[in-house]
Amino acid sequence: MEPKICNINDPECHLDRIRGWHGDLEANITTLIKNLKDIREHSEEAKTACSTHYAKTVELTKAKTRFTYEVSHELKAPLASVYNIINVILDGYLDKDFEKQKELLNKAKVRINDVIKLLNDLLFFSRLEEGTKKIEMEEINTGELLSSLIEEMDEFAEENDIRINWNFSDNLPLIYGNPELLRRVFVNIIHNAIKYSNPKNTVKIKTKKGKDCFLLEVKDQGIGIKKNELPMIFNIFFRGENARPEHKKEGMGLGLSLVKRIIAAHGGSIKVESKLNKGTTVTLSFPAIKKKEK
Amino acid sequence: MPKEILIVDDDPDFVETMEIIMQGNGYETRTARNGEEAFKKVKEKTPDIILLDIMMKTKTDGIWVSEKIRSDDKLKKIPIIMITAVNQDSEMAKFHLGQEKDMEYMPVNAFMEKPIEAKDLLKEIKKLIGGPK
Repeated sequence: MEPKICNINDPECHLDRIRGWHGDLEANITTLIKNLKDIREHSEEAKTACSTHYAKTVELTKAKTRFTYEVSHELKAPLASVYNIINVILDGYLDKDFEKQKELLNKAKVRINDVIKLLNDLLFFSRLEEGTKKIEMEEINTGELLSSLIEEMDEFAEENDIRINWNFSDNLPLIYGNPELLRRVFVNIIHNAIKYSNPKNTVKIKTKKGKDCFLLEVKDQGIGIKKNELPMIFNIFFRGENARPEHKKEGMGLGLSLVKRIIAAHGGSIKVESKLNKGTTVTLSFPAIKKKEK
Repeated sequence: MPKEILIVDDDPDFVETMEIIMQGNGYETRTARNGEEAFKKVKEKTPDIILLDIMMKTKTDGIWVSEKIRSDDKLKKIPIIMITAVNQDSEMAKFHLGQEKDMEYMPVNAFMEKPIEAKDLLKEIKKLIGGPK
């Protein structure tokens, strides 16, 4: 602002100048007070954000510790069994029983395979979790993808004395997805349905066109999931009471937690309904590709 | 009559190999795959010693069994060797049980971490109950 020049003998002019200063001062003080208020509010916000972040960090650290602990457990238990098997044979306990030696060595092989599979899954899981694994998406014809699984799944079902009833509807919508990951999801859900069925049961696999989505329903008549266990089935390493090793159901419990993450990465959803000893129905939904306007 | 060991673990391969080792050293064995089954078998017939896996992925784990046994007047003297897969298991157990110092109230007689060296385990068993006969 240009400084106002006043004649030395013009008191009115001088008073105006002083009033001007006063006004500026007042405006400055008002701005200052407003700024201070803003700062205070911001610092309150920052404080709240800080404590929220802190609480989250503590939670995450706890979860990480728990996760590391559980992973160590999952890895060490099978290795300890393999160690025992080797010792039993090395120490000569089975020198007269070659068949038993062979049987145990085969068990050791299965356990080592489990550990390798678990390690691969863990690596994959952490990359999905971290978001560093870029998922390459393409247009997928779900009917074709599922049809390519029929032979393999029927074979697995037959080994377990289960029958699969496939029911594909026409005009299924295309979806965006990664064929390898979707295949993994479908195989996992169908495998579960077979593994947790009772001999002679039928697993019903149905595809449907939903509202703007593709639906896959896998329904079994198997052992089911306890109501109180349903919310936990997607937790890493969780296995239901009736899905435990003593029931000879293989698996580490990582499958569904991976499945859920893959589905989420596709913008889809998974719904699980189950009645104990009656069976489980899993419904997957993936958004359909919107048809381009003509 | 040979002394009897109750082997409790939810890992069937671990149980099977432990049985081979113990029977090979002259002990009799019975097995259980979860806490409830273990406690039922202890009540049916008192074993001379229990090898107890602490973290079984079943509703009832090793801690549950040891507490049940230690709070039962008829059973509380049975020696228990707690077997852990991860060394933190035993830390967790001690934490869970309040780190009682008095041996009378200690839930177990010894902790051993997997993988188990058979000769160390046999030595521990011998220390607690003498030989197999």
